[in-house]
Amino acid sequence: MAAAAEKPTKERLLSVLDDLEVLSRSQKLPQPGEDVQVLELLVQRDREFQELMEVAQQQGSVHQEMQLLEKEVEKRDSDIQQLQKQLKEAEHILATAVYQAKEKLKSIDKARKGSISSEEIIKYAHRISASNAVCAPLNWVPGDPRRPYPTDLEMRSGMLGHMANMPTNGVNGHLPGDALAAGRLPDVLTPHYPWQSSDVSVGMLPPHHGNDFGLEPPGHNKENEDDVEAMSTDSSSSSSDSD
Amino acid sequence: METEEQARNRFQSELEFIQCLANPNYLNFLAQRGFLRERPFINYLKYLLYWKEPEYAKFLKYPHCLHMLELLQYEHFRKELVNAQCAKFIDEQQLLHWQHYSRKRTRLQQALAEQQQQQPQQPPHGNAAAK
Repeated sequence: MAAAAEKPTKERLLSVLDDLEVLSRSQKLPQPGEDVQVLELLVQRDREFQELMEVAQQQGSVHQEMQLLEKEVEKRDSDIQQLQKQLKEAEHILATAVYQAKEKLKSIDKARKGSISSEEIIKYAHRISASNAVCAPLNWVPGDPRRPYPTDLEMRSGMLGHMANMPTNGVNGHLPGDALAAGRLPDVLTPHYPWQSSDVSVGMLPPHHGNDFGLEPPGHNKENEDDVEAMSTDSSSSSSDSD
Repeated sequence: METEEQARNRFQSELEFIQCLANPNYLNFLAQRGFLRERPFINYLKYLLYWKEPEYAKFLKYPHCLHMLELLQYEHFRKELVNAQCAKFIDEQQLLHWQHYSRKRTRLQQALAEQQQQQPQQPPHGNAAAK
């Protein structure tokens, strides 16, 4: 096409029309030579006008095509946006599903780890109930020496108690009714309580700790001396105050 | 390295010791002598948490000790145990809790007895469920 960098078609059309108007309006008396010139100019301007009209028409149809294409582009754009939204939603749903599945797997693992045969649980329940360790005996009244924890007597008659009884200690007389307080019982008479379970636990070993603590727990050696002698924790003395 | 017999003895003594922790008076005793302030002892209490695993827990005759052990992990609890009143309170509450099920059972039995009085035709149900 003719120079697109020049003035826009509309301006050119208008300027040609102006020229035509000027030419056709000029009232001054035409000189003999000028008629021809004016006419030639008129014809030239008219030709230009026609050309410009054609150009304008072509430009118009191009413009129409452009508009159609723009509409297409808009449609495609909105399609893409729609797909984008759907993709985002799908991603969200999948992420949630994956997360929940992972949680479920975790809880399955946890449950599997903690699974114990029901028979064992029932056996254990029997054990701790039969000895009144978790439920008081039905005929319990204040004054009854039985307790949900090992009493002084039981503690002292265990392995820990015996470890402490090695050095002689004569100062443990202030516990009423305590058979061991008078001195060591011969091993044969030592009561052996089921809470020490040395028979049941034959194969059982504790986790290794390699003496990190730096201190033997009370119940061994030197600490247990105080443990045994000065323990005024006989529960029968306090049970009269309770409830 | 300890021999197997030493390990077994250690198992036995740790089993006894942890169950002693169920006795609030013993806890008070330990607190008053300052054992609960010593870092090695505190570490030992943390180590004893292995008794919570089922393969060890099944040897515990006095399960209250596990709850006490958990509480003993907290410094506040260890500090409070120095007071004799605190130990007494724990003891009382423990006894009341201990009696809870038997009281519940007695109540159920009473309710059942009343029910039977009202409807003498119905055969009495076994009490096996009321545990």
